[in-house]
Amino acid sequence: MENQQRQPIQAPPAGTPERVVSGKPMEITITLPTNAYFVSGIRDFTLGLIRNMTEFSEQWAFRFQSVVDELCNNAIEHGSKQGDNIVITFINHPKESIEIIVRDSGSGKAKMSASELNRIVKERTDPHYVHIGIRGRGLSKIVAEWTDELVFSDTETGGIEARVKKYLKDPNLPQQTGNPLENPTHLVLNV
Amino acid sequence: MTQANITIEDIPVSTEGITAKLVKFQGQLDESNVDEKAKTIYELIEKNPQNLFLLFDFEELEYMNSKSIGYLTDWYGKITEGGGKIVVAKTRSNILDILQVVGLTQLINCYTTLDEAKLALLQKPAEGGAAS
Repeated sequence: MENQQRQPIQAPPAGTPERVVSGKPMEITITLPTNAYFVSGIRDFTLGLIRNMTEFSEQWAFRFQSVVDELCNNAIEHGSKQGDNIVITFINHPKESIEIIVRDSGSGKAKMSASELNRIVKERTDPHYVHIGIRGRGLSKIVAEWTDELVFSDTETGGIEARVKKYLKDPNLPQQTGNPLENPTHLVLNV
Repeated sequence: MTQANITIEDIPVSTEGITAKLVKFQGQLDESNVDEKAKTIYELIEKNPQNLFLLFDFEELEYMNSKSIGYLTDWYGKITEGGGKIVVAKTRSNILDILQVVGLTQLINCYTTLDEAKLALLQKPAEGGAAS
């Protein structure tokens, strides 16, 4: 197990029989240039991490992939200018939760304060809110729906820290939520 | 730019004044490519503002982000305004999960097979089809 923890983390091939889950919280931090191209790599990484290093189900691995993608895109669009970085931290609390933190540098042209972001998300998560236009569904309809906690804070550098947490409510169940998505075109792997 | 492709084929129809197309999506629609790829569908809508019937084949679509959902909603609005229709077929479970969480499956019906989707696409509205 110790050797495995020292290895660079890569997504093992699909169907890897054993998950790497130790008792201690595992924290991984990645710094990413502010370019949407690199976010696809973070999506792949998230999928592999959740599948193989946590006890969340396949369905949730895909959901966290979307959550991370939306948080990173938001940080790039609003918080960090071209050439800067965003910082993504994953903290897995075995048998308890996964926490994901995305920080921007605060140098973006369209930057917002944490209170503005909190207000926007609160407004858009109202069941009576009607989404019009192309944008505006990422944080309120995907991130907020698929996490138990979503907190925005202002950072010392003038940026935003978005912190989300999802609790693993019943670690004995392979699927934490009922999966209504029976679809013969998609193979659910028992990893 | 992340890899994504959109290909368009005609669907033969017997009714005059109707244009029906099979639109196949492949790869990942994300922030790096979706604005560019969306133009293909807007061009199609521009050429066929009335009675455009689109069957979106999502079998090989691996990922879509919230902006892609926004575009899909916009296409739905424009096409239905012109008396047309959109249906979706062969969606992977992760894509269907996203469509459901944003509430889009309440607007656009999703079908397991292309045959079911084609049938539903060209049905008269009163006949309605059961979506998966």
